[in-house]
Amino acid sequence: MLAGLLAVPLASPAPPPSAPAAADAADACGSPYLVDRTLPNGARWRLCWEIRTIEGLTVTRVRYMPKDSRSISVLRSGALAQIHVPYDSGEPRYHDIGSLGSAAVTLTAADCPGGELAKSKVCVTTRPRGHAYLKDGWGDESQRRTAQGQELVVLAAYQVGWYTYVSEWVFGDDGSITPRIGATGSLAGTTTAPKHGWPLGVGRKHFEESHSHNVFWRMDFDIEGRARDVVEQYDFAGNRTKKRSLVKTVFNRETRALNSRMRWWRVVDPGVRNTDRHPVSWEINNSDSAEYRGPADEAFTHADVYVTQYRACERLATENVAPRCGRSVDRYANDERVTDPVVWVNVGFHHVARDEDADPMPIHWQGFRVTPRDVTATNPY
Amino acid sequence: MRRGLVFAAAGLGTALLSGTLLIATSGEGPEAAQAVQESPAPGDPLTPEEIARAGEIATAGTHLKAEQAELLYVERDDDKDAEQARRAEAYIYDYGNDTLTVRTVDLGQSRVVEETTGRGVQPPPSRREELRAAELLLADPALGRGVRQSFMKAAGRELASPSDLALRGLIYSPERGPCRTHRCLRLFVRLPNGTFLDTSRIVLDLSAKRVHTLEW
Repeated sequence: MLAGLLAVPLASPAPPPSAPAAADAADACGSPYLVDRTLPNGARWRLCWEIRTIEGLTVTRVRYMPKDSRSISVLRSGALAQIHVPYDSGEPRYHDIGSLGSAAVTLTAADCPGGELAKSKVCVTTRPRGHAYLKDGWGDESQRRTAQGQELVVLAAYQVGWYTYVSEWVFGDDGSITPRIGATGSLAGTTTAPKHGWPLGVGRKHFEESHSHNVFWRMDFDIEGRARDVVEQYDFAGNRTKKRSLVKTVFNRETRALNSRMRWWRVVDPGVRNTDRHPVSWEINNSDSAEYRGPADEAFTHADVYVTQYRACERLATENVAPRCGRSVDRYANDERVTDPVVWVNVGFHHVARDEDADPMPIHWQGFRVTPRDVTATNPY
Repeated sequence: MRRGLVFAAAGLGTALLSGTLLIATSGEGPEAAQAVQESPAPGDPLTPEEIARAGEIATAGTHLKAEQAELLYVERDDDKDAEQARRAEAYIYDYGNDTLTVRTVDLGQSRVVEETTGRGVQPPPSRREELRAAELLLADPALGRGVRQSFMKAAGRELASPSDLALRGLIYSPERGPCRTHRCLRLFVRLPNGTFLDTSRIVLDLSAKRVHTLEW
């Protein structure tokens, strides 16, 4: 029996005829925009990339092919949706998207070890990710199982003011997706009152202003097409007791969700099953956010995950650029019925500068994890 | 030089004349496919030829007053409901009435298939707008003097033109004040010695052709 996927009869109506299933990356884009990479353990990823004028590096039509298994589409598109940078004294408050397309930095071979540069703006490479697994043989070498993992990385970098942002889409050989962004370059050099900063340089004269980077990603999940995809939230009740009990909440309507310890979400297609007949899903964890909450006129900072109905004009989490469309993600999420979910993830990082942040500032990362849940019936590797 | 209709399209490699329209390059643009001779796949970025053609189609027949409107840029339409067609979105800003018009061009049919217009919607600034904002900054007596002095100190020579400055603009779009509806920019200004001017309180209002200084 295959370790992979099985299509089961449709559990809900097919998409309308005006909405054809997303074309496969292999048909949708050509060199150098097509990435089709089989990692050493047999995991294969296929996707298209594009540097868009506003969002910069965008991945589209992302498909995952577990080893010895049928391929499955995961994302119709994924991109940065905003970098909101409020300083601790209250001002300034930047929205760093911008035209990331024109801010893309020219990369060199040194920025892309072992990989290939495309159009000198995008690096496609693979790199080790440490242990994939380790299971001791209890003295029996033949029973010992160990493997080192690899990951495919598609990255671009942007110069926005004094900051350089390195934006990565990381596709693991375990089927995981890690979007993350690293801030480096230079500090602003803004002097502030001691309570809003940290002393840099000799003595206590210059207090560099602390600030947040609230980064939003937009992910349009289409698991084997847009039909039937549903977002669920999982909690585990029983705080201060011995037991934990699973609590599932289905988001049939647009939602603004908050992080909570142990909480996670998944996008599931009940019509696509693995060979155990469990529905295929991708799990979203957002546990590393500083959870910045701004004033009332920055309501987009008031939730950590937004689920909205697909709408082509809703592209940025704030300062959206389309006329006759919402301006920010908190307004997109207005209780509409969700049949084709788009997931927006807000990850905050509060940067309190330190002496080590002198030029060139060491990179600090923020991001989140998307992991397969029941995509295959067993560990295929 | 034809004065009047001046458009800047990001991503264009060449300037071309067409009827009453001058499309001028605004420096390096976003990712654009180089292989003009090969026909692009449906999900490939727009080619320079497609960007130029979409810009022409989107602005043809529009009666715009001199220097009142600008083609900011052309972007591939990635709407998954319109995957069969290769479409481009042209962002056109009219400073006269502070409206943004987005025209969707079907490149196969060579025509505009959709148009939306709105106020208070500000796409990111184009390269030309960044330069115009720097011109406004330099035209301000006190601020302009400050920029020139800082440049002299950093570079050891006089500032010859705004293009001597390394510029990056971000839209400033507050809930209140003139910039609620105007096209306002904040500029990051990098000097040749790698330092940045402190421009965080300075807002360049391209609609009113004014400089605002923020108070906080």
